[in-house]
Amino acid sequence: MNSEVKELTAKPEMIEIQQADGSTLWEVRTQEQPYAFLSDKAILDTNRYGQKIDLLDLTGGQLPKERPLFINDNPEVGCNPNRNKQHAFFFTADNCIGCHACESACAEKNETPAHLAFRSVGYVEGGSYPDYQRLNISMACNHCDDPVCLKGCPTRAYTKHAEYGAVLQDPDTCFGCGYCTWVCPYNAPQLDPVEGQVSKCNMCVDRLEVGLKPACVSACVGNALDFGVVENIPENREQAKISIPGFPDPSITRPNIRFQQTRELPEEMKRTDSAPVKYHKAADGNYKPVVDRKQGTSRAWNLTRLSSRENPLVLFTLMSQAAIGAFAIAFFGAQAGIPALQWFGGQTLYVPLLALSLGLVALGLYLSTTHLGKPLRFFRGFNNLRHSPVCREGLGIALFMAFLGLHLLCKLPANALFASLWQSLFGMPVSELIQPDTLATPAATFGYLAIVSGAVGLYYMNRCYRIPARPFWNHWQVATSFYGNALSLGTIALGVLLLPTLLLTGLDSAPATRLLAALIAAGAAIEAIGLWCHNLDMTAAEHEGAASHYVQRTTFGNSYWLRNGLLGLGILSGVGLTAFDMGPTVGLIGLTMLALALVASSLMGRALFYVLVIPTTMPGAFFWRNKGFEQHARDIGLADMPQVGVAPLRH
Amino acid sequence: MLFGRKKRKPILIPAKKVKEWKYTTCNYCSTGCAIEIGLDDDGKIVTSRGHARADVNRGKLCIKGILEHDLFHSPGRGSQPLMRATKQEKFQPASWDQALDTSAAKIREIQEKYGRDSFAVVSTGQLLTEEFYTLGKLVRGCIGTNNYDGNTTLCMASAVSGYKRSFGSDGPPGCYDDFEHTECLMAFGSNLPEQHPIIYWRLKEAREKRHFPMIVIDPRVTMLAQFADIHLPITPGTDCVLINAMLYVMFDEGLQDQAYIDAHTNGFEELKVTVADYDPIQAQHICGIDEDMIRHVARLYAKAGCAMSIWTMGINQSTHGSDGVANINNLNLVTGNIGKPGGTSLSITGQCNAMGTREWSSCSGLPGYRALKNTRHRQEIANFWGVDESFFPEKRGLTQTDIFPAIESGEIRGLWLVATNPLTSMANQPRIRKMFEKLDFLIVQDVYEDVETNEYADVFLPAAVWAEKEGCHTNTERRVNLTRNVIAPYGDSKPDFWIFNQMAKRFENGNKIYFPETPEGAFEEMKHLSIGAGRTLDISGMSYDKIEQAKGIQWPYSQGDDSLKGSPRLYTDGQYQTPDGRTNLISVKFRDNNEKPDEKYPFWCNSGRVVEHFHTRTRTGKIGNCNKFSPTPYMEINPDAAEALGVEHQTYVRLVSRRGDAVVLAQLTHRVPRDMVFIPFHFHDCVNRLTLGLLDPYSRQPAFKQCAVRIEQVDQVEAAQLNLERRSF
Repeated sequence: MNSEVKELTAKPEMIEIQQADGSTLWEVRTQEQPYAFLSDKAILDTNRYGQKIDLLDLTGGQLPKERPLFINDNPEVGCNPNRNKQHAFFFTADNCIGCHACESACAEKNETPAHLAFRSVGYVEGGSYPDYQRLNISMACNHCDDPVCLKGCPTRAYTKHAEYGAVLQDPDTCFGCGYCTWVCPYNAPQLDPVEGQVSKCNMCVDRLEVGLKPACVSACVGNALDFGVVENIPENREQAKISIPGFPDPSITRPNIRFQQTRELPEEMKRTDSAPVKYHKAADGNYKPVVDRKQGTSRAWNLTRLSSRENPLVLFTLMSQAAIGAFAIAFFGAQAGIPALQWFGGQTLYVPLLALSLGLVALGLYLSTTHLGKPLRFFRGFNNLRHSPVCREGLGIALFMAFLGLHLLCKLPANALFASLWQSLFGMPVSELIQPDTLATPAATFGYLAIVSGAVGLYYMNRCYRIPARPFWNHWQVATSFYGNALSLGTIALGVLLLPTLLLTGLDSAPATRLLAALIAAGAAIEAIGLWCHNLDMTAAEHEGAASHYVQRTTFGNSYWLRNGLLGLGILSGVGLTAFDMGPTVGLIGLTMLALALVASSLMGRALFYVLVIPTTMPGAFFWRNKGFEQHARDIGLADMPQVGVAPLRH
Repeated sequence: MLFGRKKRKPILIPAKKVKEWKYTTCNYCSTGCAIEIGLDDDGKIVTSRGHARADVNRGKLCIKGILEHDLFHSPGRGSQPLMRATKQEKFQPASWDQALDTSAAKIREIQEKYGRDSFAVVSTGQLLTEEFYTLGKLVRGCIGTNNYDGNTTLCMASAVSGYKRSFGSDGPPGCYDDFEHTECLMAFGSNLPEQHPIIYWRLKEAREKRHFPMIVIDPRVTMLAQFADIHLPITPGTDCVLINAMLYVMFDEGLQDQAYIDAHTNGFEELKVTVADYDPIQAQHICGIDEDMIRHVARLYAKAGCAMSIWTMGINQSTHGSDGVANINNLNLVTGNIGKPGGTSLSITGQCNAMGTREWSSCSGLPGYRALKNTRHRQEIANFWGVDESFFPEKRGLTQTDIFPAIESGEIRGLWLVATNPLTSMANQPRIRKMFEKLDFLIVQDVYEDVETNEYADVFLPAAVWAEKEGCHTNTERRVNLTRNVIAPYGDSKPDFWIFNQMAKRFENGNKIYFPETPEGAFEEMKHLSIGAGRTLDISGMSYDKIEQAKGIQWPYSQGDDSLKGSPRLYTDGQYQTPDGRTNLISVKFRDNNEKPDEKYPFWCNSGRVVEHFHTRTRTGKIGNCNKFSPTPYMEINPDAAEALGVEHQTYVRLVSRRGDAVVLAQLTHRVPRDMVFIPFHFHDCVNRLTLGLLDPYSRQPAFKQCAVRIEQVDQVEAAQLNLERRSF
């Protein structure tokens, strides 16, 4: 460590206690024990990553020194002399006995219901009886240097405070999208399915203000948990490691937690929860996740389990991709002078296609809103454009809708159906109001704007899933799937209106059929290339993504192969329909089959995408924080007893 | 960048607006932690905290203590007395007068018809000491049955018996402060991190200041075993063999403290002869600990400047429970490790007031460690209470584990259960169930009306719990500590103290004997009865206010002592509670009477606690933040054994013993050996459907931890359904 040590003038402990005694922020216990008080004697200038520990320095002195935190609107400024230093948990993993005192102290203080916890203890175990070891891990929020939760949150519910470096979240701002729970590698933010909002560890800033350690630390019975200014090693401890077996890669967020773990552990440490992940000791002595083939190697369908609480997102992503794709192909194709599309652009059913796109994306957005814990707060989804891909995705999609709507309006006067409607309603031709030709330029402009915003929306929709804490998602395959689906599903949506138009007007449908088949095949091929590479990469990997892929090939193995088969079939038949003219009837039937196969494969594929992801979260225990048990408790009805600690899902 | 927001979001943290903190002692285990309960302006409980100044816990609490204040309004509380004419009917609400009148009339009717001893009373280790004293007065002085015991027979009887046989009296001689002084600690079947987390913390604190060797004897790799310097994974039920072999090594190598032996003990020569049969070469094949290790550990222990032993149910709940305790005492006596800082034989007790019932309930004798067989003791109590001395039996009646077979044989026809749940807690539940069916009359007095045993009750008396009452507990280190009344009893439930007083009025002697109106009045009587030269159990110097001021005082603490410091240790002068003042070295011979794994039932069935639950879960099963850590029964099984049987992690299996069966989830872990399963004992319709519970010949405590089972596959859907149906909480 190259940081210089800055000596602080030691303050007599009694003075601090006296100050704290009069505080209205937190009542210090009568004759409180030394273990409960913060005891940072000296403080480094920067942390191991070179970031300043003094948070006022870090912000370039823009903030006042004695700023109140306004905890529960209390304007009192705490007496803690180090309140502007980044604080951190210190966990002596050697010592944790898994007694739940930290968790219950937290639950008591924060009044969290049984199914939620700001701090949780899980474990990994290894060895063979009696040479067996269990390593308990107590984990809460690590109040990271780079809080991905804060950046990801679309509502700006999070603040990283210059006081203690605490990353605090405001449940009253949150609309319950749960995105922070996706991006956090430590499962720190807690999405409450009952309340429909997130809450999390507040670092017990009220206790810190009066010089006390957080409640969990003060309650620790194994002398495992400690707390202080980051990089400070507590008395009687020697190490300050940044990782222990089971702890996610600290480079994702630079978490403010340090570890001591001196006890030699077995080479392989296993998890008791259902996650098919275990940890192997690498050459450098650190433990790396590898796949644990807990469910064997046999393939199953598990089709019903493809339905999850993320169903609205399955539909939202597919529908918005289809909508953007359909419009983009129709509009851009026409602009580019592709005969069938140029022709279709002038047809009566072009406007219904726009309406279909608009309807799809609107319904998708509506469904994504129902996915929120607090749907009525949906408008807060644009509050964090500066950092959150969720906001940018939302904005892109919203602008797409707006420009598409304007484009549609501009196209109305030229539409024969609309013109006759206008005539019958108002008794005058619409051209008296406005000449359709004068709207051609605005229509084109809005069209281009819609395409740009749609593409940007899709890009950020893809960025939303590029989450380091979710390695199965964090792959360029997301982009190929999303754009590929835009192309394939968009073409299908277009075809739904284009082909009837052709048939009604009695024109030759063959060129259009071949064009549509080609576009669908192209979209499917883009998706397939991504999936193929994803498969190769996940097979070669040894992280949670590899574990997800293992589940994909076993628990959902048959469903996975059906999806792959449908996709392959789609590509082959698309190519076939493009290459050979099979006549209008066969062509139409073939195209319909192709469309159905691809819609089915897209639905299954997207459902798999959500169901499979295994985050890098901390290991759970046998019951608590065990996804397998949670599922079981919901399946058999144990979850209906609140004291089981598993909240039943709302739908 | 991240900090620079002009408008920060509000910070809302639940504020506990405490107006007044009230002093209590935890009502779960025997550690004796002091808890302050915080009340708001409306007198509503809003929070609690460990008392930072109490010497026992120094501000710390375990999960159960932290969440204990949630239990007052937990589901299933009894809010009014219930009665029914037959067990097939539904309970009907009754007034207290109706319930008590009926109960008293039935007790008298049964006694008149079948004799005084045909009605039995079984209480607990969970009441307050004043309540135990009052119950003893009621049962011994008014009802007059000799079949009166506490459920402490299921947990501490062997420790009591072993202490009495060695030292002439019950009473743990050491204290938690011994951790600060000892140079070697040996833990037998005691898993402090899980069972007594705060005592573990005291041990951990001592070991962080000054490392000393810790030897853990346990067939399971518990957290304590994992942290031990030496873990001896012993074959179940063979502790006596291991200890005898250690004694063999000590005597063989002349490592004993001969001066102490000569000055203070009887029976040394006989002990030497007995242990001569336990050469480590032979012993290793029985206890599963190799010869070299036995020698190593014996030397380590004997050569330490001072050494201490602790034990819990691993010793007590076996057919060698009392012998095991006596043998641990032997180990400490021959090394001169009794009555000195860091040298002791410290039983780590189970229930919060197991000590209180041992001292004052009259279960096994008369108040204040007095014996029924002692004429002087009978006379003292008879005079003090104002009853005829001949009303007392001349020897102790049946223990809880013998009361139930006496129900089976028809000798006992009626039963009053106070704060205990034998349908879940006793071994061989299928047999216990039949016994309940035979009872003519059953009174269940409990905090919860959904306590499983209530299934068989004729009368249910709803009791108040913990700080709804006022009185004392005695902890494992003989510390008497106070619980102040904090809130009113739930609904129309009443303090057990009140119930006993009211019941007494319905018996002839109850109107002769004075029953104080308040617990403090009863405490004054107990103080008076504890006066006496040479008595260890002396609380005569204590008062409620002094106890609260001191945050608990360890007895003996005599009249006139104003130091607020009790006695941390007993027998510091080498004077024991025996006729000649010398302690007894008890020769222990190993009898191999356990039901051991065989071809038909190839697994040891071991049982024990988990930290988040207490006893039969009537309290912790309803507090979500406790219960969620183990909401449903499970067993630990070795993965190698599971693989051979085709049992998968987190699937249901059916365990079968010669008594019955149980369905549990399998947790595969190398914590247990290949021939053992471990099942937490807290769950109803679970481990005790399997257990045998052979009785210790001295203490009559059941061997819960040794029996044999086999494992059967089970339909997962049906097992899940059964598991759900068996849980009402």
